[in-house]
Amino acid sequence: MPPLPGPRWALRTSLDAFHSQWLLNSSLAVPAAQKSAFSTTSLLSARAAATAPPPKPRRQENTPVKGVRKTYSVKKARKVSTAKPPGPGERKAMRKRIILSNTNALEVQGLKKLEKEMFAGGKELKELSGKMMGLEDNTIDQLKAVQAFQPRQGWKMFRWPSVLMRKEAVDVGHALQNAENNKTSFRRVLVGDKHSGKSVLMLQAQAMAFLKGWVVIPIPDAQELTVAHTAYAPLPESDPPIYVQKNYTAELLTKISNANQAILSTMVLSQQHKLPIPVQNNISLDRFASLGARDPELAYPFFIALWKELTMPSQEGDGMQRRPVMLALDNLQHVMRPSEYLDPDLNKIHAHDLALVKHFMDHLCGSKPLPNGGAVLAALSESNRLKTKELDYLIKRNEALAAGPLMPEQTMPLWSPFAKMDEKIEASMADVEILRLKGLSREEARSIMEYWALSGLLRQKVTEAFVGEKWTLAGGGNLGEMEKAAVGMRV
Amino acid sequence: MPPRIPFLSAPRALSVRSRPIAPANQCLLLARRQTQCRNYSDPKKDLPKADGLKGPNTETLPSISEEAASMASTAGTEGPDLEQGTPVEEVVQNDKEAIDKLPQVMKDDVKNKNGTRSYSTFASSGRQYSTSAIQRQEITKQPGTLAQNDIIAMTRQQEAEEARLIEEYSLDRELANMAEPEAVVEDLSGLKFGMPKMPLPPGSHYKDRYDPLVDQLVGLMIQDGKKSIAQQNVAIILNHLRTAPPPTYSPIRPMLPGAPPPSHLPLNPVLYLTVAIDSVAPLLRIKAIRGAAGGGMALQLPSPLGLRQRRRTAITWILDQASKRQNRGSGKGTFAHRVADELIAVVEGKSSVWERRGAIHKLAVSARANILDVRKRR
Repeated sequence: MPPLPGPRWALRTSLDAFHSQWLLNSSLAVPAAQKSAFSTTSLLSARAAATAPPPKPRRQENTPVKGVRKTYSVKKARKVSTAKPPGPGERKAMRKRIILSNTNALEVQGLKKLEKEMFAGGKELKELSGKMMGLEDNTIDQLKAVQAFQPRQGWKMFRWPSVLMRKEAVDVGHALQNAENNKTSFRRVLVGDKHSGKSVLMLQAQAMAFLKGWVVIPIPDAQELTVAHTAYAPLPESDPPIYVQKNYTAELLTKISNANQAILSTMVLSQQHKLPIPVQNNISLDRFASLGARDPELAYPFFIALWKELTMPSQEGDGMQRRPVMLALDNLQHVMRPSEYLDPDLNKIHAHDLALVKHFMDHLCGSKPLPNGGAVLAALSESNRLKTKELDYLIKRNEALAAGPLMPEQTMPLWSPFAKMDEKIEASMADVEILRLKGLSREEARSIMEYWALSGLLRQKVTEAFVGEKWTLAGGGNLGEMEKAAVGMRV
Repeated sequence: MPPRIPFLSAPRALSVRSRPIAPANQCLLLARRQTQCRNYSDPKKDLPKADGLKGPNTETLPSISEEAASMASTAGTEGPDLEQGTPVEEVVQNDKEAIDKLPQVMKDDVKNKNGTRSYSTFASSGRQYSTSAIQRQEITKQPGTLAQNDIIAMTRQQEAEEARLIEEYSLDRELANMAEPEAVVEDLSGLKFGMPKMPLPPGSHYKDRYDPLVDQLVGLMIQDGKKSIAQQNVAIILNHLRTAPPPTYSPIRPMLPGAPPPSHLPLNPVLYLTVAIDSVAPLLRIKAIRGAAGGGMALQLPSPLGLRQRRRTAITWILDQASKRQNRGSGKGTFAHRVADELIAVVEGKSSVWERRGAIHKLAVSARANILDVRKRR
């Protein structure tokens, strides 16, 4: 309670003030030494102080004692797992493994397989439009060798790897036929929404190329070339410098020789090449490729020599025979920008200065022809998407150019006047057509849904209404989305 | 003359009185009255007559055989013969210990299988693996889950048939356009597509569109409130069950009676999941009532669980066990794969979740006397 103002309060405060003043000033205050009634002699206390050990500092209350816990806690026994931990690389292998068959799925009766004979003329190919086709054993092995199957494409759900011959696939089939007949190169960049089937269309194109006896040279993931995970070195006597990735080239030669063994074993070396090691004169090309794959130091010269052999003009009659070649590259965005490699000045090396990428781009833009005909295909990736302004613009531009003369309300896509265009990228995309994948048609959607139902994975009756529902939910027939909605157990 | 004051009786008229003794503890008195010993066997007394009210035990459920017989008579089939009673061989059929303690004659009988009858008094033959799963399956079957090979043929055929019918119908209408009988017209004003067929098929309500068990599993797998990730994980589980080789049932750990053969499971992963979880789900839980057993001891009281509770317990156990498994892969969805492996282990009888279930059931059996104990106290 606060002191009340008034006479009593005034008296009290004045008394307090007087008391303290009196204590300070009066001579009556007792000095400290004389407080006790008695005292020990100074001598004794001094002696005691000299002989006694230094006094222990008195432990105060509440100061923690070392080694004694104040809180109660029980140490948990750590569980030591006796199981063998996964070995090096085992976990990644588990993640990346490709399973092509599900033995639980029902076998689809009457499923036809893609065969060599279907590509002899265009007529049979047309009949396949909108049908599910199985892949042959040999084709599957070849596609495995070129790493065309990817883990998230849903192959593991079905009994046998099969593909839908959608309209675009049939068109590609015809184009390959034309390229072979006219000895031209069919060059396309595959573009489309996420899960629209770009990589699977690439797989179909490669399968058709294998069936037609073409030589396929694959770059299954362009990212591997540019993320600086493999060794690189400048090519001697190259100016401006070109960088060679010897280990990757060796792997590429292995893929080529494994996948194309059947066709390469029928061809023999026909030219004299400058090679670091002596090579038998009439060695078959598959053995030649695997010889180059054995030593990374030999890989690049062998790859160049192999390419020269493959692009030798085929002769008439009994002369030297050469087959068309298909170059296929997935994840194109990764090679349309500076790579992660550094040059001696610590600048980023442009992806197009890497020898293998340059080789591919020269053929994509058509500056180097394919004398025996062939195809150059590149696919974009939307799930591992890199921002490439130049490529996005060039795709739009090429599409607008291919569409023909502009309508009055349309405008040509323009490059930003404030940004610098990458000349190398522009040159590589100068004369390439774009193949844009859209959704499936309703008939195609119905065909693939019937296949899912026959495989036992879709437990619904396939009716017009059901197909229409899924087709609409999948953004107008996006294949991957439709599969998710119908087959995936997202419930 | 005034009357004399009676000295002896005068104090009685005083108003000061001692306080009457309050009844000390009425509850106690009542309790004493209740515990009064009244022997009905006392020959001097007449037995009390039931006044029509039913006590807790006056109407018990029929025995298994009686139930099976009544079910059979309802269904119009031949059930067990009640007059014969259940033979001992059948009672001890699955109990090895009991078989060992049978008299030698019966043991021989069991060995020679002489005692078996042509029908079984066990109700299990009629019971299905999961009533709710069956019901759901039957409902979902209506829109059509046929033999997969027939689907497309059926669909195409049906559509052709429908087209033909429509054509015929319109032809008939044209022929008899004047004599068309007036049909009862429903009031469809305001409905663009007419009335929907009732009852609505399952999953037509957006809040109730998923299988209840799958929905419950999703709910229990949510971490950090991320339901969509949990749904993805459940999808991974179901796809794993679809692609894994079919399980082999263990004779020691039987699934619920009526479970489909293991080869049928992978292509119906929701059923696979249902069989696994419903089979391993405990029927009871043990409530520990503190201090009720006397001497500060907790009283173990078994109490039955409902369907969702049973499943919840089983799922929790399975998730628990899966998190203890070693992770052999990397990337997302590794936990989901472990859960799926655990589910397969459950169906194959290898999972240690079975031991947990067994322990609870064993404890419940030994503690079932406590249920009576509580009733006595009241």
